[in-house]
Amino acid sequence: MKALTYISIVLFTTISSFSSAQVTFEAKVSKQKLGVNERLRVDFEMNKDGDNFNPPSFESFTVVGGPSQSISNSWINGVKSFSKTYSYFLAPKKRGNFTIGQATIEIDGETFKTLPVTVTVTAAVDKPKDPNDPDYIVNQNIHLVAEVSKTNPYLNEAITVVYKLFVSENTGVSNWRELDIPRYNDFWSQNIDIKGIKIQNGTYKGEDYRYVVLRKTVLYPQKSGLLEIEPLTLDITVDVPTNRRDIFGGRLMQSVHRTVAAGKRTINVKPLPEAGKPINFSGAVGDFDFNVTTSKTTLRATEALEAKVQVSGNGNLKLFKLPVLTLPSALEVYEPEHNEKISVSLRGMSGQSSDAYTIVPSYQGKYPIPSITFSYFSLKEKRYKTLSSGELVVDVTEGPVNNNSQAVSSTKQNILSTGSQFASFKTKTNFLNTKRTTFFNSLSFWMLLLVPFLAIPVAVILRRKQEMRRGDTVGNRIRTGNKLARKYLREAKKTLGSKESFYNALERALHNYLKSKLNIETSDFSKEKIQELLQTKSAKDAAISQFIELLTNCEMARYAPFSNVEMEQDYNKASNVISLIDRQIK
Amino acid sequence: MKQILVIVVLLFSVLINAQNKDAFLEANDFYNNGEYQEAIARYEAILNTQTHSPELYFNLANSYYKLNQIAASIYFYERALQLSPDDIDILNNYSFAQNMTIDAIEELPEIGFTRVLKTLVNTFTVDSWAKLSVCCVILFVILFLSYYFSFSTSKKRASFVLSFITLILAIVFLSFAFQKHAINKKNNPAIVFAQESDVKSDPNLKSETAFQLHEGTKVQVLETYNDSWTKIKIANGKNGWINSKDIRLLNDF
Repeated sequence: MKALTYISIVLFTTISSFSSAQVTFEAKVSKQKLGVNERLRVDFEMNKDGDNFNPPSFESFTVVGGPSQSISNSWINGVKSFSKTYSYFLAPKKRGNFTIGQATIEIDGETFKTLPVTVTVTAAVDKPKDPNDPDYIVNQNIHLVAEVSKTNPYLNEAITVVYKLFVSENTGVSNWRELDIPRYNDFWSQNIDIKGIKIQNGTYKGEDYRYVVLRKTVLYPQKSGLLEIEPLTLDITVDVPTNRRDIFGGRLMQSVHRTVAAGKRTINVKPLPEAGKPINFSGAVGDFDFNVTTSKTTLRATEALEAKVQVSGNGNLKLFKLPVLTLPSALEVYEPEHNEKISVSLRGMSGQSSDAYTIVPSYQGKYPIPSITFSYFSLKEKRYKTLSSGELVVDVTEGPVNNNSQAVSSTKQNILSTGSQFASFKTKTNFLNTKRTTFFNSLSFWMLLLVPFLAIPVAVILRRKQEMRRGDTVGNRIRTGNKLARKYLREAKKTLGSKESFYNALERALHNYLKSKLNIETSDFSKEKIQELLQTKSAKDAAISQFIELLTNCEMARYAPFSNVEMEQDYNKASNVISLIDRQIK
Repeated sequence: MKQILVIVVLLFSVLINAQNKDAFLEANDFYNNGEYQEAIARYEAILNTQTHSPELYFNLANSYYKLNQIAASIYFYERALQLSPDDIDILNNYSFAQNMTIDAIEELPEIGFTRVLKTLVNTFTVDSWAKLSVCCVILFVILFLSYYFSFSTSKKRASFVLSFITLILAIVFLSFAFQKHAINKKNNPAIVFAQESDVKSDPNLKSETAFQLHEGTKVQVLETYNDSWTKIKIANGKNGWINSKDIRLLNDF
């Protein structure tokens, strides 16, 4: 028991010392700014009773009321709180900035001072505000504010507008109704649903307020320049305290309908920089990842394949088009299926947007899916970034071969229908020079083309000549004789040395010569006849005798020996004689 | 002196040919082992010695195909087809490579008589038409002479009619040769090498983009401007200017 009293004494002393340390003495003004025809209330408030209260001198004001004292004691959860207030009602004398000086008081033997308060007195207000007028209370105590996260965003950068209704501590709002829902022209907008209204504490212009968040909207500006956000207008039911009191002394509240509007906000939207803007830029702003994937890379013809073009990340995902996949013309491609998994929060859109292409190859072969690029404006780095998907190759292993390739002319297409495999390399070759010589238009070409025509007149002329010769039989005989003479003479020359054949040939040559020249038959080859004939043909005697001599030599040779030298002599003689007679006879 | 020079040149060319054969076989080994890049280097080295063959182009194109280089593979298949237009393997693999291209261009159909004439003219090369016309001329001369020299009326009549026909054929073939020559002169195809290229309506960067072409598409070159722009025509008849760096000419040996 004794211990308990000690503890209680210790506690009591600490509390009392604690409370004595927490003496507050402050000055409060009802408003910092007032018209010259308005009134100001100043309260000096302390939490412990004191003596010798000394108000400041209100030089620039006239005291219209006060000082009035009020004391309140309250016990809450066994804790006593005390406050004593001295109130003055002041009327300003002129316009300007005035300072209400310090008031002093002695509490427990110590002197406390308030801080000086500065008040601005402006020109006269049209209608002096009656602090009990509900309009005035609403204006003073209820504020609808549109908070914009960023006032100079980039085009397509997410900004948020949060509408908050601030209600001061001493008024109450029992209901509200949205009169005019703002339409956000030139913005892409999305409301974020608010589940249940939560009353929070906050400050508005330095004063304590309770507030509720009425509406959150994410906006993506779609136009650069100055854009306006339309105000939100609410019809609210405010409970305003009246001067009347109920029988218990509590103030009666009055319900007043008021229309409040959040101010118009202007946003300056910066255009995206032109410098370094990629050609394929489609308006994506944010922070993205880009990839192209295929469901499989090897498949058989007529099997389906899905290629997915996907952009994921944060940014205006719903507001740009995905890059289009360009595929080889030989593939059958269906319209892409668009898919979005996007959540919208105060930070903007995040999630992924994708296009799924269904591809059915009908022929075997390799099909490249060319690399495509996606460009966006990075808000973090304030520059454009380009992402590229790698090149993919789809290998179709089985299936028919595409046999209507367009570059092969129509006449050759049907050749291809048999082959179904990519042919391997060729092992043998014959190299040609790359410098081609063309036959067409070359000299040899024109020669070969035109020379044959010359053959026609030549042949015709030859034919004519032949016919003419065939016409005269004598001439013919002469020619054949002559030809034979020459032939045998040549033979004789060849056989120079062997006596028999040489003289045989020589004799035949001479006979044939005579046949052609003298037109005689082989039957009458007597020397006399020859001589006579040659003479009639006016050949010289010397030549004739030589000729005869040669003939006798030929006969002699059959029985007598002849040397090689003689043979040669005879040959020379024969050719001489023949040429001689040729010249002499007519 | 001249003869010695000729012999030296001949020997040299034979030597190079032998070297190329070896290089070809070596490249084929690389190809077979899947080292396509190495194979390509060898094949291209052969090309640099001013020699070529359809098989060389074919193997080179195959290597590029294996490396998924569409434009180069199409380019060399086209080359191979220029030298050997009816090779089944080349046509087959070419269609594989064409599957990889992106542009689908509907070919402008040619109608009526011009189509018939064109397919007829295109059946043989210029040289073949030229040789055919030479053969016909020779045949004509022989037949004409046989008409001239033969005695029996029936023979004379037959050979005269035949010679007349061959003469007409010779003229027709000759005109085909000229026609084909003209077509060849006009035919200046190129392959788009850039992955994506804008075809402009005027030869400058500011002008409007008429259409886009992708890697591996075959175009016809019509004219060039300042060497940096080339006017091209695609199979559906559209034309425009493309950056000369984006394409590679096929006839450029």
